[in-house]
Amino acid sequence: MQNMSAIRVMLVDDSPFSRTMLAQVLQERGCEIVGEAESIESLVKTYTECKPDIVTMDLVMPGADGFECSKALLVQDPGAKIIIVSSMMDDDTEAEARRVGVVGYVQKPADIDNLMQVINNALSPDELFQTLVTLGSDIFKESLAQNITRMTKEPVEFTDKDLSKQVKSRGITVVIGIIGRYPGTMILDFSLETANTMTERLLRRPARNQEEATTMAAEFANVVSGMATSMLNKKEKALKLRVAPPSVFFGAPTEIASPNIKMRGFTASSKFGDIDLSIGFKKGSVLWM
Amino acid sequence: MDVNVINPILEAFATILPQIGFQKVEKKSVSLMGSMLVNTGLMINIGVMGPLKGAIVIGMDIDSAKMFASKMMMGMAVTELDSLAQSAIAEMGNMVCANACMAYSQSGINGLDISPPTLVLGKDGQVRLSVPKIIAVSFSVDNIGVDVYVGLYS
Repeated sequence: MQNMSAIRVMLVDDSPFSRTMLAQVLQERGCEIVGEAESIESLVKTYTECKPDIVTMDLVMPGADGFECSKALLVQDPGAKIIIVSSMMDDDTEAEARRVGVVGYVQKPADIDNLMQVINNALSPDELFQTLVTLGSDIFKESLAQNITRMTKEPVEFTDKDLSKQVKSRGITVVIGIIGRYPGTMILDFSLETANTMTERLLRRPARNQEEATTMAAEFANVVSGMATSMLNKKEKALKLRVAPPSVFFGAPTEIASPNIKMRGFTASSKFGDIDLSIGFKKGSVLWM
Repeated sequence: MDVNVINPILEAFATILPQIGFQKVEKKSVSLMGSMLVNTGLMINIGVMGPLKGAIVIGMDIDSAKMFASKMMMGMAVTELDSLAQSAIAEMGNMVCANACMAYSQSGINGLDISPPTLVLGKDGQVRLSVPKIIAVSFSVDNIGVDVYVGLYS
């Protein structure tokens, strides 16, 4: 969480009324208003003098608009944390906001709970990421265990898997991309025999061909990742995780690598056979909300 | 799937590659396929979510991947696809797809996001994407063969 000192906010809005309203609700939540600007002319000077933690930025202003003002501020201080607070909010303005590099976007009239959540996330993004990394593997493990136990009626045992060397596939690898505040990847890997046994349990007859078994593998991975991301989103709304459709790799000796992302792996031992799951997240989404 | 849907990805490919050391990006062929692909050596899988969903997969054979990584690393000799070379290739995939998201946004398709790249090494392996159709585009990049597979649906 924030340290105990007040969050220092600078308001940029051409309307004195809007500035007063926003100042009032922010002050009620313990923020300190350290500066105000009504146009690009006074913007950079005020920012440099008051050094705020957060800048709220209106979009529609006479002369330079909020995007141009944001660009000017970010040239001055690339670390400036700007939150657009505007009555105008649609796909185009959100896309432009992302391109410009602001850290958040809240529609006017600003819901103060929402605005404070965006401010807190902007000031402590590392904490949210850390929460995800800490919770993430346990929740994916729990989801995998629940989904196996549902079929086997038996508990699952886990062992950690060493991912320091390149991972060889057991036969079928399902890769699921995760999108959200922090993007990530889940990889589920098991043998064709395991897939056949699971398919037989689900369909109550043997798999007719490899396609049935690999389709089941994709669906199983989809359910595991979907359940885990829902559980994470319930715990931390700001994560907004969603899963992309699975890609399934099989039919030849295969090695898997996830460069540039720290993955954690474990093996679930079940009566279907061993199932490997690895999961990792990284900072830096193409989108920010 | 409308074939024009791939234009932002082609644009991104042609924009990013010259920025990372390649001079000549030529489009060789475009074809429409079902959901199955064959891995010729290495594949970069990137998941896509938003108004379009699916995966973008970039594939090449292992020798091409080594040449590709070598070019990206300013001509450094790459005799095997070690973690540095893999990282370089994955980053290329990430840059192309992130740039494609921006290009989609400029063409009015907002809110696309991508997952981090996963590399899958396994010659002759089969790949099934969870999409009805895939558009395959073959490129020659400074005479290195690279295939881009776009499996997206709305």
